Parts: sequence; C-alpha cells; structure tokens
Amino acid sequence: MFARIWGTRGSYPVARADVLRYGGNTTCVEVRAANHCIILDAGTGMRLLGEALLREPGAPRQLDLLITHTHWDHIIGFPFFAPIYAAGWRLNIYGLSRTRASLRATIANALGDPLFPVGLEDLRAELHFHEIQVGSAFELGPLRVRTAQANHPYRALAYRLESDSDVLVFVPDTGPFHTVLFGDERIEWTGAPGAGNGAEARALAEMRAQVIELAQGADWLLYDAQFTEQEYVRFPHWGHGTADQAREIAEAAGVRELLLFHHDPRRSDAELDAIVAAQRAAARPGLLVSAASEGRLLLKGGT
Amino acid sequence: MKAQFWGVRGYVPTPGAAFLRYGGNTCCVSLRGAGGELLALDSGTGFCQLGVALMADDFQAGRGELTLLITHTYWDHFLGLPFPGIVHIPGNQLRIYGPDSARGPLEMIYDNMLAPVYSPVFGLAHIAATHSFHPISSEPFQVGQLTVRGMPLSRRAQSPIWAYRVEEAGRALVYITDARYTDDAIWREAVHFARDAEVLIHSAPYLRGEAVRDYGHSRVEDAIELALEAGVRRLYLYHHAPTRTDDDLDALVARCRGELAADGQRLDLDAAREGEIVEV
Repeated sequence: MFARIWGTRGSYPVARADVLRYGGNTTCVEVRAANHCIILDAGTGMRLLGEALLREPGAPRQLDLLITHTHWDHIIGFPFFAPIYAAGWRLNIYGLSRTRASLRATIANALGDPLFPVGLEDLRAELHFHEIQVGSAFELGPLRVRTAQANHPYRALAYRLESDSDVLVFVPDTGPFHTVLFGDERIEWTGAPGAGNGAEARALAEMRAQVIELAQGADWLLYDAQFTEQEYVRFPHWGHGTADQAREIAEAAGVRELLLFHHDPRRSDAELDAIVAAQRAAARPGLLVSAASEGRLLLKGGT
Repeated sequence: MKAQFWGVRGYVPTPGAAFLRYGGNTCCVSLRGAGGELLALDSGTGFCQLGVALMADDFQAGRGELTLLITHTYWDHFLGLPFPGIVHIPGNQLRIYGPDSARGPLEMIYDNMLAPVYSPVFGLAHIAATHSFHPISSEPFQVGQLTVRGMPLSRRAQSPIWAYRVEEAGRALVYITDARYTDDAIWREAVHFARDAEVLIHSAPYLRGEAVRDYGHSRVEDAIELALEAGVRRLYLYHHAPTRTDDDLDALVARCRGELAADGQRLDLDAAREGEIVEV
C-alpha cells in the first residue's frame, strides 16, 4: 500500500505564498494497493488527483471514494474531479447513512442550480452510492476498511485502511474527548468548554476508546490538529482539536507516524514548522510526528 | 473610491506556486468609498482573505458594517461567505444584495448552504453577525454616498446572474462576471450599463479559440469588445481559468495589449491581481 496526500487544509482552501509547502487545498488523500485506488474525502485536492489519474497510463478506472462527512471542505473538489465527466469511469461513493437526507441527495443538492452549473445527472461516469454506519467493516480490493465515529458536529466518520503490511488511519475532523460531545443536533455554545454530565462524559470516553482502537498500530495516522490550544478554548464548538490532543491519541494507539492534518486556513508554513518541532520534542520515543504536506508520498521504507 | 481584489480566480481556488502573482482565491472585490463606506462584490474564497484583513478593523469589536453585492450563488462567487471570523462576531452587520432564484430566495439558498449536512453552523439562524437579505432589482440604491445599480445578465430562473455598477461623484466601477451574451439585447444592455465607466472588471476565463468545457462564459474578446464599445477607460480581465498560470496571464495581457495598440485603441487593459488596489 502507498498513499499520496492531495489536500491538507481544513475549513476552506487558501491560495497564499505562506502556505506553499504544506499546501492550500482541502482534504483529500489517495490510497493505492494492487492497482486499486481509494480516495479519502473530496476536498479541492481531488481536482489535482483527477488530473494525475487522467495522465497515468493504466490508471484504475474503478475508484472508491470514502467520505468522512459532507461539510463543504470535504466535498468541494468533487465536481472538479475530471474523471466524472468521462465515460468508462466508475466511482463508488461511501458515506455515513443519515436520517435527514440520503448521501446521493446530499451530493446532488450541493451541485446543480442555484449553487453549481453542473448537476449529478450531467456526469458521464457511473456513480454508485453506498451508505455505511459507524462501525462498518468491509473490503475494497486488497484493503480491509473499518470505520469509527469522530467527535464532530452532525457526526463524522474516521476510517482505517489496512493491507497485509500497512495501516493508514484517517481522522480529519474531530474535537477532543474531554469537553463537548457532538451528535446530530447543534450544541449551544455557552462560552467556555466544560465537561458535560455523566452520560456525556461516558459517551466521550467510549468514543475516544473506539478511535484509539481504530488507530491501533497504524503506520500513518492523519489526525485533526486544526487549532492551537489558545484557539481551541475559544472555538470548541467547531469540533476540531489540537496537536497535543492528536499526539495523545497517537501515543495511546501505538502509532508509528502521526501526521497533523486539517490545517487551519490561517496557519502559515512557518507556524506549522514550529508546531511540529514542539510535538517532536514532546513525543514519546518511537513516535514520528510531521504535519501533512500536499504532494507527500506515504510509502513504508520510502518516507 | 478604492477597489481591492481579494480573489480573481474563477471556478475553483488554485493554491500553488504557479498562481501566486495573480492569485488563486475565487471571486471577491472590496470597495471603499471616500466616506468610509464598505462594499464587497461576491464572496468566493477571496472573501475569507478580506475577512481576515477586516478583523483589524471595527469588525473585531462587533461594530463593522458591510454591504455585499452577490452576482449569483455559484460556489466560486458565494461559498466563502460563512467562513471568516467577521460573520461570527455579534454586532457586525451584513447587508446582502443578490438575485432570488426560482428555487427560492437568496436567504433560503444561504440557509440551505449552512444546513448541518454541509456546515457546522447548523443554519443561518445560528450565525452571530446580523445578516439582512435584499433581493436585487433594477432600482438604484445608496450606500452612503455610493450609488449602486444592478442589471440582470441572465434570465435563467434557476440561477439568475446580475451585474453591478457602483458610482461615486460621477466615476463608475462596473462588475460583470459569468456573462452570457446570448443575444443582441443583452449585449446592448451591457454596453449601456458599462457606458463611460472608469473601471470595468469583467470575467474572461478563456479566449474564443480555446476548446474548453464551457458553461456559457463570455470570452476575453467579449470583455475587450464591450469595454471598447462602452467607452470604458480601464479593463481588468477577471475570473481567470484555473489552468492559467502567472506566466500564461502575463502572455495573455501582452497579447491583448499588443492587439489594442495595433488597432490604435487607448483602452488600459490588465489582468486582475489579488491584493492590487485600484483607484477609481
């Protein structure tokens, strides 16, 4: 298995000189195993992946897209993914089953008038939607896929992709597990994070245990580290975490390399360098820490 | 008034080294009147960068006032609106003008965009700044000493597109994007609308000869012909295609200027550059 990172940014894409190294496109990661191609999230990085697939001789024409959740930054690359406009491509799209709208309707309503000039019905590729659950486990080619719930408004999935030799775990959006418990309803933010009642605290502890279990022994853990500690206490209701929180999960799960992910749009390359340096100094021996950078290839023995 | 470009790219943002000089954020231009009036044209991802800049201003304290003129609600013109901190600070006031769609009023379109499946905001009711929505019409209106006029460019009921003309003390800036000059009537109206403008900002993603998938955009040549016919002084090519690198845009500008000079035309032409301030 190998993977390539096409988008690292959270919230919205940014085009600026001070984000060139870590990248300004929103979340998208390509995973390859035995000429099987699995795409994690459809942020603006997906546009670049589409161009690369069209250039690649013998590229797989059947692709699996695993969506963590459908907040804008995770789907806005989808209609700029060139293969969907070509016949002969097939895309299996996986995402969380919701009560309020189907996955197909959620994507269809984001496209088409009055938000976008192209509708789902205009696409030439064959699209198949698969609604999955928290805890779903299935196989995609040579990879075993499992999901857990991340702590994020309206719920998001986290994914584990495992081959016989490698494990990649993708948790792009999650708040920590000691303050706000997110679910399908909006959390009224009262101005300061505080532990909820006993039932909420137990639910958070259970969610944390499931995420650690999902990440167990991962070669690569891509994990939400959007905020600094100072930002987190101001914005706990957005459902994102910090680099310290990401490292604690990585250490608890015995991960080989933690890649800080879902970078805040305002965060410069220099600031990310400093965050990585601080985490490396704090990390338990044996844990590698980096910040995900656009274009990076994840290949064991090759990184 | 002073205009400033915050996003000049069309379709999709293009981060990366090849796009730094002209910029990769999507459509947004701010306007500042002599009396301090603040307007913005469109809210693509450039609006997020404008929002960061405005945090140094009254907006940090919840005393900011902004009039936002939306041409249409496609992502590259609208989707940046919910992200900057200024819209999440109580007390700030956003007056948003734009077209209603046959699918529903602008306010409803925005509310749907903030639905929990798409946004952690959970709907317009939960956004902290005061937002008021005003369907645009052909009736001119004032923002302080600035006069704003709108003109419908496309009558497609599902996704209507409007152009704007902002005047201060007899000088005008005209903003036309995603135009579809499908008939002579629209063309003549656009010429009339842009008449004698000091500055015309016009989408120009491709040349006529370029074979591209196209959703009905006017071409570079249309922008130039409109500027010439309307007697515009300065034309900014805008809404650059995501494939156009900085070098491509340099070459495009050089080519267009060369052709204008060969024709003996005195139109000032440039490609819009993120960050550039234009005195109108």
